[in-house]
Amino acid sequence: MSLLSVAGVTKRFGGIVANRGISFDVAAGELVGIIGPNGAGKSTLFEIITGFYHPDEGEVRLEGTPLTGLSPDVVCRRGVARTFQKLRPFQGLSVLDNVMVGALTRTRDVRHARERARELIARVGLADKADAHARTLSTGQRKRLELARALATEPRVLLLDEVTGGVDQRTIPDLVRLVRELHAGGLTLLVIEHNMRVITAVAQRIVALFLGEVIADGPPDAVARDRRVVEAYLGQAYVP
Amino acid sequence: MKAVPAAAVFFAAAGLAPLVVRDAFLLDGLVLILVWGSAAAAWNVAGGYAGQISLGHSAFFGLGAYAAAIVVTRWEVTPWLGLALGAVVATAIGLVIGFLSNRLRGPYFVLATIAFSQVLLIVGSRWRAFTSGSEGIPVPFRPGFWTLGIADKRVWVWIVLALAVLAYLIGVYLERARRGYQLAAVREDEDAALSLGVPARRLKVAAICASAALTAACGALWAQYVGFVDPFYVFSVDLSVRFALAAVIGGLGTALGPFLGAALITTVETYLRAQFGGIGAGLVGIYLIIYGCVLIVVVRWAPQGLVGWVEERLRRHGLVGARP
Repeated sequence: MSLLSVAGVTKRFGGIVANRGISFDVAAGELVGIIGPNGAGKSTLFEIITGFYHPDEGEVRLEGTPLTGLSPDVVCRRGVARTFQKLRPFQGLSVLDNVMVGALTRTRDVRHARERARELIARVGLADKADAHARTLSTGQRKRLELARALATEPRVLLLDEVTGGVDQRTIPDLVRLVRELHAGGLTLLVIEHNMRVITAVAQRIVALFLGEVIADGPPDAVARDRRVVEAYLGQAYVP
Repeated sequence: MKAVPAAAVFFAAAGLAPLVVRDAFLLDGLVLILVWGSAAAAWNVAGGYAGQISLGHSAFFGLGAYAAAIVVTRWEVTPWLGLALGAVVATAIGLVIGFLSNRLRGPYFVLATIAFSQVLLIVGSRWRAFTSGSEGIPVPFRPGFWTLGIADKRVWVWIVLALAVLAYLIGVYLERARRGYQLAAVREDEDAALSLGVPARRLKVAAICASAALTAACGALWAQYVGFVDPFYVFSVDLSVRFALAAVIGGLGTALGPFLGAALITTVETYLRAQFGGIGAGLVGIYLIIYGCVLIVVVRWAPQGLVGWVEERLRRHGLVGARP
């Protein structure tokens, strides 16, 4: 059985249909990429999976149990964590405290949470920044912080919204390596990514969205060559 | 701030002062500092730690004051029961305000809290049959601890000191406990907190209820100490602002800050009133201008409040290290 399944999800905002009958499954241990041009409905889908939006139709299931209708904090405790496209670190708190908030979802013991947070901060490469205020971090460091914070909640599925967006070219390989390591460690990941080179390199499977619908779902190279995907990204003139 | 030694000195000094000081004027000032400090610390639970800025906390203070005064005058039972009753009613109203905080954010929430206190002001000043209306309620003086009929201001210092220490300890708890970290996350970014599994809504409501109950307890003791409850004073926006201001000046989201802020404000205010009272009565309102100036100075040069400012100085001189 798939770990995470999205079944017939439709979300309307007034007259605009942001997601239309979206269905796909993510197996345990899989790394699935989600691509699509701006406005394709990727972020809306993330908001629905994590409980921030409730779909008009369809549902999201984790190991067969519906997540739809649960509030975001409950979804997180069930094992679905996320990062935000527009980064949202707790600006006034230290890096350590940021990550501790995540860890405290799984333990009541503050000291234990602190140890756990230190491990994760080291793992994402922010050890020397542990006591710095989150607002002093660069974009790349904030991405790492959000990653550590989400990992601290011990997710079974981790949703990453734009791993490399807004980050300078030199730091991209490090972030990609980090995602690969997490995946190699057995974590199931669902990743929104604009950078095609990055996503085709890390994902085992890619789901392509366009105008709220799934237009392709398959191995990276097949999706990258898919006629409808190329059309959606570049327009008809470029279709070979 | 982890400056427990500073707090220990502050509260020990307050506790020992009555053994040395005999002057009623000074003791009165100390009682008021502790009462306003406790109320500011109570405000800080919602406003500082949970980030739910309220300018209607006089609603809870007034509820506590009225509850204590009414049970004493109408039913002739102990004001301690009134204190408990006030805390319970305030908690119930805190639930309503907490619910509002999940609907309204930022300035809309602030406005709703102001409106709430003004509704209670109207009820308090118009419901003659129950609250004696705008005349207010004089609290009868029945000697004894149980009836809180205490003439000796030194005893009052110790009573309100107990309340102050309780309020301070709640702050310390919120700085160190799991719930404190979670509340800080809610304050910084509610959606991000939710995404990390923090039950943000429940925590906000709980913080507002605790804050309301503690504020009501302050109101109840204050009413018994002063001996008179005036609806236009206890439900005033002025009073709400005083709680918020003391916390902001002392240091938002710090355990000791509200007490330092209250000490500063009360001292300045009492001094000015003494200076400009009587013949200079025309200048009585000047303390409001001074309030404003103090606030400007703090926001400009010590935006983290007195506690943050002192910490910063200590750290710069290497007297305390970074946080563990």
